[in-house]
Amino acid sequence: MAFSTTVAQKKHVKRKAPRGFLKRVFKRRKPHLRLETRSDLLIHLNCLLFVHRLAEESRTNACESKCGVIKKDHVLSAAKVILKKSRG
Amino acid sequence: MADRYRPDSEPTTRTLLQRVLDTADLRTPRRRRSRRTLAQRTFLESPASKRLSSQTKTTTRRRSHGARSVVRLAHVQANGDLEEQTPRTLLKNILLTAPESSIVMPDSVMKPVEVSKVVQSSRQESSQGSLELQLPELEPSLTLAPGLPAPGKRKQRLRLSVFQQEVNQGLTRSQEPPGNADVSSLTSSLSLTFATPLQPQSVKRPGLARRPLTRRAVDIGALLQGLRDNSLASAPPADIVLEDTQPFSQPLVGCSPSVHHSLPHPSHIGIEDTERAVSHRRQSIGPGQQSHISLPCSELQPQPPEVTEAVGSQEVMEARKSKESSEDEDTSGRPAGPELASSTPDLLKTKQPHQFLEPPSLPPGVAVLSSEPLESMPVRLPPRPRTAGPRHHQDPYKAGLSYYAKLFSFYAKMPMEKKALEIVEKCLDKYFQHLCNDLEVFADHAGRKTVKVEDLELLMRRQGLVTDQISLHVLVERHLPLEYRQLLIPCAFTGNSVFPTQ
Repeated sequence: MAFSTTVAQKKHVKRKAPRGFLKRVFKRRKPHLRLETRSDLLIHLNCLLFVHRLAEESRTNACESKCGVIKKDHVLSAAKVILKKSRG
Repeated sequence: MADRYRPDSEPTTRTLLQRVLDTADLRTPRRRRSRRTLAQRTFLESPASKRLSSQTKTTTRRRSHGARSVVRLAHVQANGDLEEQTPRTLLKNILLTAPESSIVMPDSVMKPVEVSKVVQSSRQESSQGSLELQLPELEPSLTLAPGLPAPGKRKQRLRLSVFQQEVNQGLTRSQEPPGNADVSSLTSSLSLTFATPLQPQSVKRPGLARRPLTRRAVDIGALLQGLRDNSLASAPPADIVLEDTQPFSQPLVGCSPSVHHSLPHPSHIGIEDTERAVSHRRQSIGPGQQSHISLPCSELQPQPPEVTEAVGSQEVMEARKSKESSEDEDTSGRPAGPELASSTPDLLKTKQPHQFLEPPSLPPGVAVLSSEPLESMPVRLPPRPRTAGPRHHQDPYKAGLSYYAKLFSFYAKMPMEKKALEIVEKCLDKYFQHLCNDLEVFADHAGRKTVKVEDLELLMRRQGLVTDQISLHVLVERHLPLEYRQLLIPCAFTGNSVFPTQ
């Protein structure tokens, strides 16, 4: 027996990937393309890493301005940097 | 010596120790090590005796553990003994000193005759444990036998509390202080362990034995009286309240006189209310069910507002139907006051055909009345306008984005503004655009129309997430849950199979 997609005891995955959402988004934008079944998990991974980087950057910005709360300008400046980085 | 075997109806400490003594006959290792030095023996015995005494203390509280602990003690004490210091003798001394029916009779605690037998052997055991007991009632019961010989054995006293010193001072001494202290403390402590059983027992009772709940007997008369008061007090406002929710708006003003003129017979009104509530409830539950009268009474007690509602509904019903039925009920209800149980089934039977006359109208009213929060819902839902249109684009898309935005707040580990979250969502939107474009380019470059894993890996490499040091598998392992890992990373399984296949 090769595999099981769910763990025996708990069938509840923490931080489930919104696979349907990702597939729908991709289909909306590029209807002529197809998405492989496992690649949406990697897209989810990519999103996680992107958000992670964004959060780190905005946190750095907030700490530099000695603010205890992340404000929108911190996020904006962070977004500029990270989006440029993730351009590929 | 108390060698007689007690019936096991009440496992006292004595019985437990006795049992141990009986069973512990064949402990040969004990004899082998009889040549211990004094210090070793005392050292061994002091924790053992301490354990024994602590266990005796606990046995007063929990009988079941006594045998086990004593057995353990005997086992521990197997090593070091002189002939007069054997666990047997120690336990026997305990049995001697422990009063017979210890718990109940604190007066019989001190038995000088038996105490005299304790002698030097008993002094060590449980004296340390007795120190732990620290019972304040030690002073009054200090009538130890003066004839206790105290052997001059100095042994380690692990803890000599203040009260113990007081005990020593309080006791009449005939021998040197330590021995006497030991014996007296032992006996007194032992006696006290049994002398003050009332308190620990009273303490332990709430924990172990549930006190039977003392329920106040339900006074039907008082109940009905209270119901009547409730109905009278809240009838006018209840009518007003119910008036809004009744689907068929009956002249409730006419009902209130019916309530008021039934005032002169309060008990009967109460009975009638219970009947009405019974019938009402029966309606709501299901037709044709004759339940006990006690049941509605018990039901009524926690739900007086429903009774008032029931009263209101019944009043409405009666207003709809002919008044004669209600008056008949009144007249029949009045003489039937004392014989509630007999009359109410008849009344209910008479009422039920009346009620069944309008089942279609009533159940909605009943259902509406059954719970007030539900009342508002059927009223509100129809007039709500349906929002159609761009729902399919915006809402799930925003929901998905907000999912990632929540992750952003997790990763940031700092408090954030709501506006910042919105910006994150916009950012994600742009990111998705870029992502899809890039994937399209990569797939086209590879001459495919399907986006595959290799395209994603290339994308991540270009983004700088996947490097020579960090491979994609590493990232997968770090950030994705286990189930996805299983899907993504090829793993070897039994039968020479690899999943997922490459």
